[in-house]
Amino acid sequence: MSRLVVQARRHDARFELNVDFSIDGGTLVLFGASGAGKTSTLNAIAGLLSLNDGKIQIDDTIYYDASQGINLPASQRRLGYVFQNYALFPHLTVLENIAFGLGRQRDRLEHARQWLTRMRLKDFGERYPHELSGGQQQRVALARALAPRPRLLLLDEPFAALDRVLRERLQAELRQLQRDLSLIVVYVTHSLDDAFAVGDHMAVIHEGHVLQQGPLDDVFQHPVNETVAEIFGIRNLLRARIVGSQLDWLGLPLHTEITDRDRDRDRVSLYIQPSEVKIIYPDAPVAEGLGDNLFEAEIITRQRHAAGWSLRVRLSNDQNIEIHHATAAYNELDLAPGQKIRVAMKREALQILRRGDSA
Amino acid sequence: MIGPPFWLSVKVTAIAAILIFTIGTALALWLVRRRPRGRMVIETLIMLPLVLPPSVVGYYLLIVLGQQGPIVGWFGIRTLFSPTAAVIAATVVGLPLMVQAARAAIAAVDPALEQAARTLGCKETMVLWRVTLPLAKRGLLAGIVLGATRALGEFGATLMVAGNIPGRTQTLPLAIYDAVQTNQHDLTTQMVLLMTGLGFFSLWAVRRWEPASKGRDRP
Repeated sequence: MSRLVVQARRHDARFELNVDFSIDGGTLVLFGASGAGKTSTLNAIAGLLSLNDGKIQIDDTIYYDASQGINLPASQRRLGYVFQNYALFPHLTVLENIAFGLGRQRDRLEHARQWLTRMRLKDFGERYPHELSGGQQQRVALARALAPRPRLLLLDEPFAALDRVLRERLQAELRQLQRDLSLIVVYVTHSLDDAFAVGDHMAVIHEGHVLQQGPLDDVFQHPVNETVAEIFGIRNLLRARIVGSQLDWLGLPLHTEITDRDRDRDRVSLYIQPSEVKIIYPDAPVAEGLGDNLFEAEIITRQRHAAGWSLRVRLSNDQNIEIHHATAAYNELDLAPGQKIRVAMKREALQILRRGDSA
Repeated sequence: MIGPPFWLSVKVTAIAAILIFTIGTALALWLVRRRPRGRMVIETLIMLPLVLPPSVVGYYLLIVLGQQGPIVGWFGIRTLFSPTAAVIAATVVGLPLMVQAARAAIAAVDPALEQAARTLGCKETMVLWRVTLPLAKRGLLAGIVLGATRALGEFGATLMVAGNIPGRTQTLPLAIYDAVQTNQHDLTTQMVLLMTGLGFFSLWAVRRWEPASKGRDRP
């Protein structure tokens, strides 16, 4: 299996990049808000951005090593790069675009035609890029990057400009290509949907630093700190004190598993997904596991979404939390603003962040 | 006789055009891509021949090319009152138009396309040949046509550094001046119409190639 190691440091007046991550095969999602340094990181790997220090290596090919004075020019790194707006050559046909990286190989056009077929673009070889739809352009960009048979593929928000149906189809195709060609893929996005559709691993970037990396589900389920949680758009972020075997959330006791890791900390941050906060029917018995954290609450706002409803409620400690529920749920209840309800949170649903402080 | 000055003009313009194209494109690339220090000053200096009286340009060329000048002093090359001097004068006055057009055309090429070419294995010279220059083609063509036409019409500076020697340095514009002085009305008319036609044709061609016009290069 291939291994990519990236340690990239660059300082200039406006921005500091200091990223560190590695990946053993599969797809790594570089996740972060715009301006976090995701594209800079890709450019550093591709050799399009000069660095001050660090090391970038794929298997035994060293792209960059400041300590050895190695800095392979972009033209010799032999990787595939799909740019954000595709960067197709407007003066060349689709076929010539795909064959562009094949140099002087005699069978370059033959090889490019095979890619046309593979990407379902067979009849478009003689067209020019601007005559294609967005999804077709995207496939040309992928074919162009992959035709020279790179081990490493970099993608910069490749599906951002496409509609949902097309995006899902291309995400599946990308996964297929990754497996068929045993590529290492580094995939930049700020969309969680994208990340889950294509990723195996995730590195979260913020202000030029990698805050957390690991298997995708693990990173998403267990953000190390509030900054990462906020980058994921996690809604119910709570701060509490550890008192004995339970938590004190500004006057309300919270019951959850406190591991040895957290036991000697004074304060912790934790969160609960809005869909994990349940509403309890007034006269019904409380289901198994929901009784641990049961609170009175008052509904402040109620809003309709595509998949259901979102409520903001205030608890007796004056803190607000968000609740998401499916359209069909709680039909018999009056959930208008001002109503008093009971809410419950399972102890397993309360996730303690590994570090309470912002990085 | 319209023949000798016409063919001399063709030769002088052809050589000047080659020089204008290569020097102008190289200067434009350097100015746009390398963004050298003092770029504004350099650009302004290159543009100066557009606004200076031809006699001023001619005078500077006399100093540079003359007996005390660096070309004779350093290289021992004597060019004054030769067709070579006419080529140099034509190049200097044609260059600004080329640089101006080439600069705009090269700056309009999306740097991401050049980056893409690099990641696809192109070294810098190949990036230039396969991406930058083909994409700037229209602007470069417009620039060389304008520059060459300006070179063809060069009169004042040429008169000062190359003289007006029939059969040797007398180009079409100088021959027209002579013909008017010597009251050769028919010859004057022929040459004037020829110059006008060439000028019209080149401006018309440039209009057609203007970057604003629709074409497959610029979707």
